[in-house]
Amino acid sequence: MARDVLIDLRHITKVFPPDTVALSDVSVSFEAGEIHALVGENGAGKSTLMKVFYGLERRDAGDIFYRGAKVDFRTPREAIAAGIGMVHQEILLIPEYTVWQNIVLGAEPVRAFGIIDVDKAREAVRQKIEEFQFNLDPDALVGDISVAARQKVEILKLLYRNVSVLVLDEPTAVLTPQEIPQLFAELARLRDKGHTIIFISHRLDEVLTLSDRVTVMRRGKVVGTSAASELTKEDLARQMVGREVLFTSRRQPQESGEIVFRARGLNCSDTEHRARLHDVTVEVRAGEIVGVAGVEGNGQFELVNAIMGLAPMTSGTLEVKGKDITHADILTRRTLIAFVPQDRGKMGASVAASILEDAIMTHHILDSRFRTWRGLGLDYRHAAEFVDQIRDQFTVSMGHSSDPFRSLSGGNQQKVILGRELLLETPFVLMDQPTRGLDVGSIEYVHQLLLDLRSKKRAVLLVSADLDELFMVADRIVVMCQGEVVANLATDATSREEVGYYMLGGKEAVHAETGS
Amino acid sequence: MNILFGLVSAMLVGATPILLAAIGGTFTFYAGIFNIAMEGMMLVGAFCAVLGSFFLHSWLLGILCAVAGALIMAGIFILFAVRLHTDEFLTGIALNLFAVGLTTFLLRDIFHVKGAFTNAGIRAIPAVKLPLIDGIPFLGKLLSGYNAIIYVAILVTVLSAFVIFRTRFGLRLRGAGYNAACLSSSGVPASTIRIWSLIVCAICCGLAGAYLSLGYVRLFAENMSAGRGWISLAAVILVSGNPWGIAVISLLFGFFDGLTVFLQGSRIPTQFTAMIPYVATLVSLYLYSVRKRRQA
Amino acid sequence: MRKQALSGILGVLAAFAIGALLLALQGFNPVATYGALLQYSLFGGSGFTATLTRAVPLILTGLSASIAFASGPVNLGQPGQLVMGALGATLIGLFVHLPSALLVPLCILASLLGGALWSGLAALLKRAFAMDEFIVTLMLNFIADYFALWVITYPLFDPSASSPMTRPISTAAWLPDLGGVSTSVLFMVLAAVICWLVMSRGRSGYEWRMTGQNSLFARIGGCKVDANYVRVMLVTGALAGLAGGLMIMGGPHRFVKGLGANYAWDGIMIAVVANSGISGTFLYGLLFSALQQGAIGMELVTAVPSEFIDVLQAVIVLVVVAGRVSLNMVFDWLATRRKLKESVG
Repeated sequence: MARDVLIDLRHITKVFPPDTVALSDVSVSFEAGEIHALVGENGAGKSTLMKVFYGLERRDAGDIFYRGAKVDFRTPREAIAAGIGMVHQEILLIPEYTVWQNIVLGAEPVRAFGIIDVDKAREAVRQKIEEFQFNLDPDALVGDISVAARQKVEILKLLYRNVSVLVLDEPTAVLTPQEIPQLFAELARLRDKGHTIIFISHRLDEVLTLSDRVTVMRRGKVVGTSAASELTKEDLARQMVGREVLFTSRRQPQESGEIVFRARGLNCSDTEHRARLHDVTVEVRAGEIVGVAGVEGNGQFELVNAIMGLAPMTSGTLEVKGKDITHADILTRRTLIAFVPQDRGKMGASVAASILEDAIMTHHILDSRFRTWRGLGLDYRHAAEFVDQIRDQFTVSMGHSSDPFRSLSGGNQQKVILGRELLLETPFVLMDQPTRGLDVGSIEYVHQLLLDLRSKKRAVLLVSADLDELFMVADRIVVMCQGEVVANLATDATSREEVGYYMLGGKEAVHAETGS
Repeated sequence: MNILFGLVSAMLVGATPILLAAIGGTFTFYAGIFNIAMEGMMLVGAFCAVLGSFFLHSWLLGILCAVAGALIMAGIFILFAVRLHTDEFLTGIALNLFAVGLTTFLLRDIFHVKGAFTNAGIRAIPAVKLPLIDGIPFLGKLLSGYNAIIYVAILVTVLSAFVIFRTRFGLRLRGAGYNAACLSSSGVPASTIRIWSLIVCAICCGLAGAYLSLGYVRLFAENMSAGRGWISLAAVILVSGNPWGIAVISLLFGFFDGLTVFLQGSRIPTQFTAMIPYVATLVSLYLYSVRKRRQA
Repeated sequence: MRKQALSGILGVLAAFAIGALLLALQGFNPVATYGALLQYSLFGGSGFTATLTRAVPLILTGLSASIAFASGPVNLGQPGQLVMGALGATLIGLFVHLPSALLVPLCILASLLGGALWSGLAALLKRAFAMDEFIVTLMLNFIADYFALWVITYPLFDPSASSPMTRPISTAAWLPDLGGVSTSVLFMVLAAVICWLVMSRGRSGYEWRMTGQNSLFARIGGCKVDANYVRVMLVTGALAGLAGGLMIMGGPHRFVKGLGANYAWDGIMIAVVANSGISGTFLYGLLFSALQQGAIGMELVTAVPSEFIDVLQAVIVLVVVAGRVSLNMVFDWLATRRKLKESVG
């Protein structure tokens, strides 16, 4: 199995201003014709390492050798020219363009005067699709095709540029369990044709199934590289986290109480009159965590928006603690619902504001402590005390309350948001992807917080793209597909495979089962 | 019949500066730049046109100077907004202020006048008789004999529609606006495309400026762009950048502008007729929002 | 805050250096020019009071733009709102006959209402028809200009005047001078203090700022963003209107042709350099007022056209705004170096 070393990264260090050491003296080598997995928890530095290699981020120290020569890609263009391509975690395509336009963008075949040679471009794309058996329509608009298909377009875009090294950053994160084997088969086929594949992941099963060798990273450092055949899942987990990890739920059995949250027959459509939610009914009881699973873009976000009153519904009713909030304004909803949105910077906080300003949002209206001058003024002294309370109760590591919110790490930002929302002391808690993008410590913290809420008899609706998370904390899992609830399963009586099956639209089966 | 000819002529005359600036703006619009500096580019263009035409005794060199002046403005925009990552809106505002200040200062410094500079030595851009069409009785009068820049504007419109939708540059240009990160990761730095879009925009605005001071009239007056850059920005936003849409909107404004001239002899106070282009902008914004709501 | 001040001072100095370079290229003596500029704006006794008086409309329109930009609405309509405010004060001053103690407040109220009416129109068009306030307010500027011109050319024309202007307003509405300084300065300072209190200590100011930074977040947080939008538009319009009213009551005491033109973009310019901060707006307003006031003396002494100041102001705006971003990049770079040394050892 002795292959040649193709890429050699030596002593790479990268600092993000002001003081985050993302990579600290990292050395890894990749061999020609292998599938090499780069694993580690979120924030371990896997993506950053590859971005440094690819010319997307500047390194602060270290050397890169490629095919034996020292290289220094300053832009992705240079990397691509050298035969290296990277597929990013968030898919970077233009939805308004067709598949072939997306693929040729940046390397378009042209006739005189820079006119695009449409026939030639489409033919070339069609050939590539056939060569790699990708099953795509070159004329489809990228905005209309599935996430899995878009990922294929991304890969094809690189193959069209004749790259021999492919870097894939968490390619399975956006796929359902059923779509993953197909991707793996395609990647294995590419390796057999001589391509080298670097595969970033934090999912251990996948890594062991697919890769030849595995490099584990933890907190910006390399823990070690080994052949996949010599590893077990437990080994990997221990290396990744630095201690033993239990893969079982920590939920304690508990009787749930009365119904706290009830959504009945929610319908809503987008501006083009396409239905985004179709007759969605969800109930959450006190002391119960209900998880919402689904491939992204199947109505989860619309459901969250409908509950919060951010998007109009065409029909349906919402109820919290017996109070009808279907037509209530947002402020009224906020007296009953704590809300942790999926995008901290867009919905959860203002990153330009100070920690204090972000921490007192909503409280500044609902809590009379913060009022001075007959409600005209805002009491900044009480507000600072409130920030201290959040800091102590939610173990936020932060400087002064007047520091900018963006100076906090992602985990601490999320803790401030969680603190703000949970101190509203509402009966119902809505969380949309609360652990997305957090490091492993913060994720565990959030999970513990969720379980604490459950034992305090609060009702929690948890939207998550991470099935492991749902299986760990949720009592029931509601599966959404194309805006409909296609399954409502007790976590203890289902499996990841079953959930995945429904995520892909296995609707008939659920009716057959639950219809009886 | 003469009223028809007069109205068509007035319409084309009024539409041309807005059309040219808006076509420039459409390039930056597609490239994803919030470019509000058209007003300033046009104003500097108008000044430089008079400068070149007066001192170099040639309207052609005047036009070249106008384009060069607008390009310098684009250069400043590129330096600050693209290279130094200053906010585009703030850069645009500062640049417009700079244009007003600079032209007023130079008007004073070079021509030693306040308000406006007019002189027989300024060579105007001539009218052009179209070779074949001019001879045809009705069409000749309708289509021939306009200022050269008007024909250039029509040519620029057709050309820009072709460039934006058919060429490699166009694909990349629109890509920069739709998703700059995608374009950059495809090996074409979005900033390069943005720089080119600003250069094209400056050329168009320079032409528009030259038309204002050497075609529309033959003088330079302080702040003579009079909000045309803003109106063209409104036009670009209204039609989401489509060059044909811009042509239609510009003609509409030209029509209202022409109306202003027609109504000058009437009993309506000139202050109200002068408001027409601005009111028309508001009305078209209103119609746009109604149409959008009906679609939704 | 300290970074803001640093980048501001560095930026202004750099802009002056660029200005000096331009002057030298034109064959003028930069030292003499700047000397004259300072002398006629700050040191000469009447120069300083004139600078203060001139600062009234600059700072008020600057506050208007600052509060608008910090809170979200892109209100570029200060020139038009100023004109409408001036028109409001003029109307009351011409046709209402009351003792000074009543007429002055009434005129001020009319100027506030005049400005708020014009910005409220833009707010209404936005709320009802989703028309972008940034183009609407711009167009309304031109419309207000022509409208005011019509008013002073026809219905309110002073037959004894040679150019369009109204008759003088009732002397009871005139703002007296106190030691050479117009009392309009007092009103301006009062308005600035109130603005600061609202924005930095008030609950509405907090909501406005948060909405300006991230309106979706503020909306989710329970802020009434739509109502706040209308309030901000009305308040900022009223501030610009106040500028117009004070100009009439403290200055020529009548509406003359071209009243707002000289202040067209100054407020926006000041808000932009001050990064929409209240205290920054006040300071830059004073600076720009000093420049404009000094320019007149400078032209007398050095033969540099006073329009040079327009160029200098624009250079200050560009350099300070760009400098703010660049300085942050420098700070980041320095922090990175420091951390790198620590971590590599």
